[in-house]
Amino acid sequence: VIFRPMTFRRKLLAMFALMVLVSVTAVAWIIASLTRRTFDQADEARTAASVAQFHREFNRRGNEVVNRVETIAASEGTTRMALAVSRGSLDYGPFLNEAHAVAESQQLDLLEFVDSQNTIISSAQEPAKFGYKDAHFSPSEVSKDAFLKQEDLPDGAALGLFAVREISLGEKPLFLIGGSRIDKNFLSSLELPDGMRAMFYENLGTGFSAQFLIAASGPAQQADRVAPIVQQIQQQRRESTTLVHWSSDAVDDETITAIPLSGSDNQLLGVLLIASSRRPYIELRQHIRSTALLAATAGILLAILLSGWAAARVTRPIEELAQAAREVAAGNWNTQVPVSSRDEMGELAESFNHMTRELLAQKKYLVQAERVAAWRELARRLAHELKNPLFPLQLTVENLLRARQQSPGQFEEIFQESASTLLAEISNLKTIISRFSEFSRMPEPHLQQIQLNDLAQNVARLFQGQLQAPLHVPIECKLELAESMQPIAADPELLHRALSNLVLNAIDAMPQGGTLTLRTRQADDLSYIEVSDTGTGLTPEECDRLFTPYYTSKPHGTGLGLAMVQSVISDHGGRVSVQSEPGRGATFMIELPRNFSKLRRDVLSGNATSATARNT
Amino acid sequence: MKLTGFPLLVASSLLLTTVASAAMRPHYGGTLHVAMQVAPQSLDPADITRSDWIESRNLLRLMFDTLVSLDEQGKLEPALAISWQSESGNQRWQFFLRRGVTFQDGSPVTTDAVAASLRKTNPTWKVFSEGEAVVIERDSPTPNLSSELALPRNSIAKREGGKITGTGPFTIAQWDAGKKLILTARDDYWGGRAFLDTIEIELGKSLREQTISFGLGKTQVIEVAPEQAHRAATEAVRVESSAPVELIALVFGPDSKSAEYAKQRQVLALSIDRDLLNTVVLQGGGEPAGGLLPNWMTGYEFVFPTALNLAQAREVRSEIPHTTSWTLGYDLADPTARVIAERISLNARDAGLGLQITSSSTADLKLVRLSLVSSNPEIALSELATALGLPQPKFSSGSIDDLYTAENNLLQSQLVIPLLHMPTAWALSTTVNNWKTNRDGSWPLPRVWLAAEKP
Repeated sequence: VIFRPMTFRRKLLAMFALMVLVSVTAVAWIIASLTRRTFDQADEARTAASVAQFHREFNRRGNEVVNRVETIAASEGTTRMALAVSRGSLDYGPFLNEAHAVAESQQLDLLEFVDSQNTIISSAQEPAKFGYKDAHFSPSEVSKDAFLKQEDLPDGAALGLFAVREISLGEKPLFLIGGSRIDKNFLSSLELPDGMRAMFYENLGTGFSAQFLIAASGPAQQADRVAPIVQQIQQQRRESTTLVHWSSDAVDDETITAIPLSGSDNQLLGVLLIASSRRPYIELRQHIRSTALLAATAGILLAILLSGWAAARVTRPIEELAQAAREVAAGNWNTQVPVSSRDEMGELAESFNHMTRELLAQKKYLVQAERVAAWRELARRLAHELKNPLFPLQLTVENLLRARQQSPGQFEEIFQESASTLLAEISNLKTIISRFSEFSRMPEPHLQQIQLNDLAQNVARLFQGQLQAPLHVPIECKLELAESMQPIAADPELLHRALSNLVLNAIDAMPQGGTLTLRTRQADDLSYIEVSDTGTGLTPEECDRLFTPYYTSKPHGTGLGLAMVQSVISDHGGRVSVQSEPGRGATFMIELPRNFSKLRRDVLSGNATSATARNT
Repeated sequence: MKLTGFPLLVASSLLLTTVASAAMRPHYGGTLHVAMQVAPQSLDPADITRSDWIESRNLLRLMFDTLVSLDEQGKLEPALAISWQSESGNQRWQFFLRRGVTFQDGSPVTTDAVAASLRKTNPTWKVFSEGEAVVIERDSPTPNLSSELALPRNSIAKREGGKITGTGPFTIAQWDAGKKLILTARDDYWGGRAFLDTIEIELGKSLREQTISFGLGKTQVIEVAPEQAHRAATEAVRVESSAPVELIALVFGPDSKSAEYAKQRQVLALSIDRDLLNTVVLQGGGEPAGGLLPNWMTGYEFVFPTALNLAQAREVRSEIPHTTSWTLGYDLADPTARVIAERISLNARDAGLGLQITSSSTADLKLVRLSLVSSNPEIALSELATALGLPQPKFSSGSIDDLYTAENNLLQSQLVIPLLHMPTAWALSTTVNNWKTNRDGSWPLPRVWLAAEKP
């Protein structure tokens, strides 16, 4: 994995996106929290209103039952029954269906006529129960208001809202117990707000039994989920609110408020369960989440746009500066950056431009100074080089003149010697001049595919004979050639001359003998060839000036050899360097690129030139 | 003043007497409107069902005759057959037909026609004509065969091309299955023409619809539930009742009639307060039943106990270590049956038994209501045993002791608990005359005549 450092633009983008994300998340969280709190408050209020409405409905139904029971108590049929009871000669037969008929006419679910002994005379809910005692009624507990009471029916016990009236026409009173059953019809009569529903648990046994839980639509579904709430009420007898999960989907959740309902003897007879759906809240929460997600997405997109714009405004000058700096580093010292603002970035750009201008001026000055120094050096070198042959020439000519004047007899002999000396010195002068001429006329490299190992071997072979001469100092020549050298595109003749120069220098550096090593190696796309000696070595100052033209540390050197080497290597796009310490020899290292792209261009241009020539 | 007033008074008295006697004298003509709950889909005697037995029987008797008939005492009377005799130890019977009798389509009643009709109703019998007699041969001695032939299902009918005709006093004028039946009197009926010209019978009418129709004067004869008979009578409605001809009883199902539950069944039988059921639930319209057959039919039913004996019930209950809670089924369409079932459930609870009423058809025991199909006690008992799923009683001598033994054996099996005997009752309009209900609940329609409506 290649790790690439984030650009300033990407950092800016990430920062913007993070800020938007954090902001939207924070806002969404705040809104969701506020919504939940508001919903909970509204839910509490709705539940309270529903409970209040239940109590109102409970009371209203109670009053209704009271009114109906009073109406029955005042009826002729009841009076007739009361008279029969007071006479004590009661025949149940005529009254068998009395309670049922009256209950139907008064729309009461439950109605019983009971005498003072608690004996049922007529029962609407269980006509066959005549003559039996009403186990859940005591004449001593007659109340003016309606109350909750358990009633045994043939198909099981039930709860009802009852009212009792006493009709006394003699010594033996008649009691009228009428009621409205609390069942699904009662629940469906409750007008609850949307999203709320009521359930009722008839506490007719011990513990929880699903069959006693009813809803407005009939038997309640998944009654076991409500069991813990009912059991809690059975134990604690106080109102409680619980969140019930009906399914894995949160929208089905309901908050259930359970209210205990007791009878006249404070016995827990029923539990009213007001369920409030969490669906509106869950849907609102989901809506907030989706909106927040949408806003975050839009925000991030906006951040991208903003960062792009900001980059154009902020990072572009920096990028231009960076690019300009790279160009300066590459040697283009006259690089300038546009100054587009007057802020800190503008000042920075202005300073950069000032810096490059100063650098350029310094460079010109240095070049000029160096050029002057070079001319001076050239002049000195030329003077020095030319002075050496000229002095013998002068002495020879003066000797000839003196010999002609003082020893004419020997003049011929002296003339012959002097003429040969003059010719030799003139030859030296010509040699000196041809060297300078050669350096000034350094040719362009003609590239072709070569192997550095072949080049090294050729050079070594060239100097092998010289080194093995009997009178020559003992110098061992070693070849350390890498096996996996890649071919490169180079001018073999120029490289041969450059490498030969280095070998000559190495030989010159070992007057007492030593070891000369030619070494090649490959590193990525770069090929290396090194020339090492075990000679006297170079000082750091010598190393710094070594490739300066006309600089030489040798008594008879022209100072053009290494300059020529550097020129050749530079023309091949490579570099030459030296590593040396005094007394420990020196190593010259040539680094060459493969140059195949140049080779192709040269081939194409060569072909084009050939074609042009043919056409011409 | 006195001389002139007396002849006028005498004259006016004579005129009133003449008018009154004319109004009270039977006369022919008129249409009797009757309403009934039953809604038969067929008028074929072979299709008569046990559940609507009394009503269907009364309908069939208007259109069909049997070879013999039973009077109120259960004694045989000649009908289409004027004489009969048995041979071979009551295995072969010969019936000699009344001459000159015709079907309603005018064709004569022949021995072949009678034999064909009986074979249709009784495929297992061997019935054929022999000379002027119809011969019936059975595989075993059948001393009560002649009484059995008095059952409505053995009415003589002629079935041709999907049409059915009989020899009864009325002929079918209109038949709308399950809804309406209009009958017209036959002038050539062998027993004499009925006084009524026409009888229009509305079928499938509930008791409430009948009451409304009766109150509006549209119907002259309606059915009255026994428990309503007393109340109707107190409201000055003319009610005619039969003797008890229906039995209300508890019948045990396959799971509850095993021997291990014998004591539990005994506890239940002892715990039921039949008197209160009769006096309160039936408003005194029935009779507590200790036996299967009513006392008017056998004369000995009183020997079977009917009184509540809760103490003994509890005592027997205490001898049972574990009781099974039973379910009691009843007819959902009968509101009285529900009250009776609930009361029995309460009574059972008093004795320490669990008895839950249910409308399920798979109850442990059922509250049933059965008609006594014949005034002949042996026939009635046999038919009851069949209907209740009890073993068939065996009669050897035909004596009353024999009958008692047979019935007592059925009761001792404790597979049935008789509860109540119930009559059938009808409310009659004041224009209906000479209605004298037979004890077996059969209609006396051929004798009935209609008085003219008061202006």
